[in-house]
Amino acid sequence: MGTLQRGISGTGRGRVSPWDAAGWLLMLPTVVLFAFFVWEPLLESIRLSLYSAKGVRLQEFVGFKNYVDVVRHPDFWAAVRNTFLYTFWSLVIGFMVPIVMAVSINEMFAFRSFYKIGVYLPNVVPGMATVLLWAFLFRPGETGALNILLGKLGYPPQPWLSNPQWTIPLIVATLTWKSAGATTLIYIAGLQGIPSELYEASIIDGAGIWARVRHITIPQIFNLARTLLILQIIFVFQILYEPLVMTNGGPNNASVSLMLLVFRYAFEKYDYPKAGAVSVIISLILVFLTWLYFKLVKEQDTQGA
Amino acid sequence: MKRVVSLVALLLLLVGTLSAGGAGEQSAQKEMVVLKLGIWPEETMTGDIELHKEYVKRFQQKYPNVKVVPQHYKYSVDTFVPLAESGQLPTIFETWFTEPQKLIAGGFVKDVTDELVQLGWIDKMNPSVRQLLSDENGRVYGVPRDAYALGLMLNVALFREAGLVDANGLPKYPKTWQELAETAKIIKEKTGQAGMVILAKDNAGGWHFTNIAWSFGARFEVQKDGKWIAQIDTPEVKAALQFVRDLKWKYDVLTPDPTSEDWGTGFRGIGTGTAAMYLAAQDAVNQPTMTYGLPVEDLALVPVPAGPGGQYSLMGGTPYMFAANATKDEVLAALGYLEIMGKAPVLTDDVIEGLRADAANRKANGVPVIPTFPAWTDPEYLKVQDEILAEYRNVDMRLYQDYYDVIKKPGVLRPEEPMLAQDLYAELTKLLQAVLTDENADIDTLLARAQKNFQSLLDAQVNNK
Repeated sequence: MGTLQRGISGTGRGRVSPWDAAGWLLMLPTVVLFAFFVWEPLLESIRLSLYSAKGVRLQEFVGFKNYVDVVRHPDFWAAVRNTFLYTFWSLVIGFMVPIVMAVSINEMFAFRSFYKIGVYLPNVVPGMATVLLWAFLFRPGETGALNILLGKLGYPPQPWLSNPQWTIPLIVATLTWKSAGATTLIYIAGLQGIPSELYEASIIDGAGIWARVRHITIPQIFNLARTLLILQIIFVFQILYEPLVMTNGGPNNASVSLMLLVFRYAFEKYDYPKAGAVSVIISLILVFLTWLYFKLVKEQDTQGA
Repeated sequence: MKRVVSLVALLLLLVGTLSAGGAGEQSAQKEMVVLKLGIWPEETMTGDIELHKEYVKRFQQKYPNVKVVPQHYKYSVDTFVPLAESGQLPTIFETWFTEPQKLIAGGFVKDVTDELVQLGWIDKMNPSVRQLLSDENGRVYGVPRDAYALGLMLNVALFREAGLVDANGLPKYPKTWQELAETAKIIKEKTGQAGMVILAKDNAGGWHFTNIAWSFGARFEVQKDGKWIAQIDTPEVKAALQFVRDLKWKYDVLTPDPTSEDWGTGFRGIGTGTAAMYLAAQDAVNQPTMTYGLPVEDLALVPVPAGPGGQYSLMGGTPYMFAANATKDEVLAALGYLEIMGKAPVLTDDVIEGLRADAANRKANGVPVIPTFPAWTDPEYLKVQDEILAEYRNVDMRLYQDYYDVIKKPGVLRPEEPMLAQDLYAELTKLLQAVLTDENADIDTLLARAQKNFQSLLDAQVNNK
């Protein structure tokens, strides 16, 4: 938007004024859409969470009753615990994958584009298809793809997703397969922004590949990685359709997530105020995590300086 | 100049965007009643569509002032509320047997008591089905399409393959749960296919489990001094849960992963011959046959096995409901259409014609033509209905007769547990998932937790009101 605005007004007057009508007109659709589709629903769902309702028709103000009810619900704490587990496993399994892929692809001489496309392909697959595909791979019994492979190696079939210890890590593996490619491309873009003189100088100084990665590549993409870290936490924290389709929160609540509770309140019970209450709780946790992150980063930066 | 052009272009764009949303169709003819038929068959069901086209022809002769708008609507939780809240619901639509209370509480559906009284249908409705479709003041919000009672559905081909048939070729089905475990074991050994489908993916798991547990003597909810008390942590429920656990770990007769089995996959198992037994009702015989291609002669429906606590069959009804904004005339038109379909408890030529057409259609599609479970109690109506169904009979009734005999015995039929049934099912499903995925799951701890969980829900949502 910014560049466009300067471009148009620039041809007319050669300076930028905050009251430039054309500029504002250009922005108007976005502002309207933003207010209508983003802020209004956000505020509305906070309001909804404080009322009782029939469908989406508000009935009466009930204060924090909906919040008390959802927190007391037997599934709530399991969902909170699991949501943090999803985030934790996504950092363990998923965070380094795009970095490693980006660095390896960046170090390649031949077939670079081929690999770039290759890692991005899973992103092109529609989400539901991905989930169903992996559900087939993880299918228990002798007809599951992974179990067929295990069978060829002489191992008995495994229950995969219905083993409560494995459910979340396997769902996170699916998630990583699906979305790591896009992040890899961002890292590759970041890596290609690193001035080649740095590498040339280090090669002249006799640095090997590991030294180059450690002393040049990692420090150069550190800020990017930090930003992507918080984005990943926000993204994974709202995990919904993978557990919804693959396990429906089971077995015995082993994979239920906070967003899944929102889905159940809204779409299984048509209890929108409670769905609103859980959504607000999710946002509050995310706001807190983001605040914590910026505080830590700031401290680190000040110490570093 | 460039700037003026861009300004004009922008304005045009804006005006275009804004007006696009506003132009709506307005029905010009006021005196015409518009009947939006949400129960129209989906496009792939060509045979059913032909059937309905005939219905519409006859309907129009009787109601020339009604404009019928076919509008296939498959009830689904993600589209329902937007349609209802924006007043776009079809006048009449079909929903699931779990939904009526929720839809009534949300104010999404119309009270049709007066119309039912006017037509004289109200007293002919099966009382337990009527209760399912009523609010706490006794106002009725729906009309039953049919009612159901659970039985045990069998894949007869697998019984035959396992040698479990008598001299007449009829399956030797289990009469008790203990026999069921043994029968299932024989089937698994002889055919390699699962003996029994236990559902444990969603609330349907808990729904089936209540039926199993009842026959072990369980009662999940009781009212004491005006308060509802959960009874999950009891020896009876424990015995039932132990039985399910044994099916998995001791007898090993279940499908590979019960936690991925839901209502529909169970029929797939029966229909495709990967499972031999499944708790299912008479209204779903089209699932294994028409949907999954099982020949009608390979399907049987027998009574739910008995347990130490008796023999029970979980019953309920599948309703038609009406958009909250439907007018009296629209509701009456919709009910008139039901009459043409043969779904009304009156004996007009239309109804008889409708029943006949429906039975013929079932026969043509390879769906067993068997007696319905009466959602309407008018004896005259039931007699005629039975006669018509008998005319189109395409199965050996010996594969079904025991089921019908047992559900006629007093005390066998039992409606769902009255309070927060879905929440109860959710808790029970978790129990099932725990014992089916972990051989060493501690049943006592699980039951105590489920008891506490469900009681807290009862206290918060029922006892506290």
